[in-house]
Amino acid sequence: MKFRVERDVLSEAVAWTARSLPSRPAAPVLAGLVFEAVESEGGEGDNGSVTLSGFDYEVSSRAQIGADVTEPGRILIHGKLLADIAKSLPNRPVEFSTEGSKVLVSCGSSRFTLQTLPVEDYPALPTMPTATGAVTASGLASAVSQVAIAAGRDDTIPMLTGIRVEIEGEKITLVATDRFRLAVRELQWKPEQQDMSATSLIPSKVLSDTAKALTGGDWVTLALSGGDAGEGLIGFQSGDGASSGAKGSRRMTSRLLSGEFVKYRSLFPSEYNITATVETAPFLEAAKRVSLVADRTSPIKLAFTQGEVTLEAGAGDEAQASEAMDAVLDGEDISVSFNPSFLLDGLQVIDTQYAQLSFTVASKPAVLMGRPALDAPPQEEFRYLMMPLRVPGQSAG
Amino acid sequence: MSDGSGVSGVSRRTAGAPAFEPYGVWTDLVGQDHISTDLVQAALGNGMTHAWLLTGPPGSGRSTAARAFAAALQCTTANEPGCGHCLGCRTVLDGVHPDVLQLATDQLSIGVADTRDLVRRSSMTPSSGRWQVLLIEDADRLTEAAGNVLLKAVEEPSSRTVWILCAPGRDDMLPTIRSRCRHLLLRTPPSTAVAEILVRRDGVDPIRAREAARAAQGHIGRAKRLATDDEARAKRSEVLALPSSLTDMGSALSAAQKLVDATISEAKRAAEERNVTETADLRLAMGYQEGSRKAVPGAAGALKDLETRQKKRATRMQRDALDLALVDLAAFYRDVLAVQLGAIGGAGGDVTEPIHDDQYAAVRKIAAAGTPEATLRRIEAVLECRKAVERSVAPLLAVEAMAVRLR
Repeated sequence: MKFRVERDVLSEAVAWTARSLPSRPAAPVLAGLVFEAVESEGGEGDNGSVTLSGFDYEVSSRAQIGADVTEPGRILIHGKLLADIAKSLPNRPVEFSTEGSKVLVSCGSSRFTLQTLPVEDYPALPTMPTATGAVTASGLASAVSQVAIAAGRDDTIPMLTGIRVEIEGEKITLVATDRFRLAVRELQWKPEQQDMSATSLIPSKVLSDTAKALTGGDWVTLALSGGDAGEGLIGFQSGDGASSGAKGSRRMTSRLLSGEFVKYRSLFPSEYNITATVETAPFLEAAKRVSLVADRTSPIKLAFTQGEVTLEAGAGDEAQASEAMDAVLDGEDISVSFNPSFLLDGLQVIDTQYAQLSFTVASKPAVLMGRPALDAPPQEEFRYLMMPLRVPGQSAG
Repeated sequence: MSDGSGVSGVSRRTAGAPAFEPYGVWTDLVGQDHISTDLVQAALGNGMTHAWLLTGPPGSGRSTAARAFAAALQCTTANEPGCGHCLGCRTVLDGVHPDVLQLATDQLSIGVADTRDLVRRSSMTPSSGRWQVLLIEDADRLTEAAGNVLLKAVEEPSSRTVWILCAPGRDDMLPTIRSRCRHLLLRTPPSTAVAEILVRRDGVDPIRAREAARAAQGHIGRAKRLATDDEARAKRSEVLALPSSLTDMGSALSAAQKLVDATISEAKRAAEERNVTETADLRLAMGYQEGSRKAVPGAAGALKDLETRQKKRATRMQRDALDLALVDLAAFYRDVLAVQLGAIGGAGGDVTEPIHDDQYAAVRKIAAAGTPEATLRRIEAVLECRKAVERSVAPLLAVEAMAVRLR
């Protein structure tokens, strides 16, 4: 095998595929990246292409880059090591050529001789399901980051470590919960079929990593194969279409989680008695400060009165903190306690100037939403539901 | 009349079914045609279920059967599950199929952390659209806590998930787990069948194969080792020399010391062989290049982990080796008993065959010197020693106690 490729193109592709490689591979070959070089098919400006792929039995990633291929072939090179090498090479074209079981990587006057891994032992990569639609890369990334915070991290209930994706026509809904809070985000997309309807459960970590990793292009193509019918894969693709001559495309597939997801829609109250609106950034800052004296289990208390909110944490003999700031309250005075990290998680992903908290009563779940301005309605595309903490003696205070 | 597909019962071959002709992955399964038939039928969709428990004596091929079944479930050849040559079969047998996760422990127990990972994997959908197979080779070594972690996942796995658990006996599993599995019982393969596979697969001389097969008492792996490894044969002879060397207290104690030393040195030798290849594999995976000492971050930690694991495994291997020696010893006294009762070499001809054919002279001598009652007491002593070793009694103490009682 022999090919020549631009340094930047190479290092970016290697870094991208190597990031999904397992740090403790189940089998030695899985630490490798497969390089497959194919010659030009004779198209204008087409000198051939190299496909890099990695797999850890759950997630596969594949990057295709344009390269000047003089001898086609397929080899397996240690991915993390090559990533380290690729990013420190001088900015000159890089040439790969095999010599027996070694591969020679030369760039300018630098030369690396690396041992290859046995490529014939490498497992077959899952095939990409057929495309079901496309979503903007930045839209997907921001939506996933908003929802992923609520996903469970405890493997005892694997279903909760996933993000549920519901597709209904031109709307995608992402949902995640760990039983204490729940995040829902809706976004628009371009389905292949207008009337399509599908659901699947994607491991949260995978979806977060993938959404971040695919921000390179404008659009991300989603490819979903039905979770119940047996095949359970989701594919993502960014870059130019799936045609064979495409250069610079990125693909990932991930296995899905199976299991019945929480029936979450009924958890949201149908109407709210009290809404409180605060300015997001100062409120987040204040909540962070006050939370410093609260440990993971002790609550942060928000006491809303007309025109003001007081944040309090710590009680009794322990360290205490409190801070007051402006708030617009619509309804009666209310005082609610939350797990501080759950509150901070939610506030951190609100990207509007104001944030609105909606309540029915203090003991029922509260809903956090973004609000662009005080005279504008809240944005319902993202909703974050939090269970309040029951605090002993709260009714007395 | 049961049709044999009961979920909890041991299934039997349906009467009148054509005899099973082993092919592909099933040819390595010796003398277990009844199991192969059931598993092939299951892979074809008749009597398939989400959890299986394969039990049978050590060496009978539990894990071979489990792997063959896993291959059959991933096999892409129509009507011949487990063909042995399609990509599905080959990758399962090589241990690199993405939808088959095999957990085999070489340590004393399987803990909660490993089990959690399995449970997480069990909730994933298969990437090929066939089955997501989770195979635990030593399910009897699951700790109780680990068993409880597994419980929920085995009870209600996702629709395409299959659990295959292997254990020596049903009683080795938590009742809550075994009641959720379809149970298949492997029998001790007849020594003729074991000898046959040694000849066919490993090219062993037939006479030697027969002797080894009988001495290994149906343990296929052990038979192969005895037939092909001279050192293993020598070690066995050393062990079997113990009964003849017991004359007084002093000789009993020194014989005990010798037995323990011999087993430990054999275990060490076997462990070392594996350690070397394993370490080399890991170094490769961690990006150590030939002759270099630099690798990717985390490599040193991973190597250290491997070392800890290898140490734990050494303990297990020593125990296993000692247990093997004790089984050989018990079989020796069984031969003695058979001679004393006239089942071997008696007036009515041989009712049974000696296990240790090559030790016949020693067996006769000891048989002539004692009574069947004394022999039974000795067998009891050996079996008690096995139990003591399993309960982590210091090996030397347990063996000394036994040797004194064997005098």
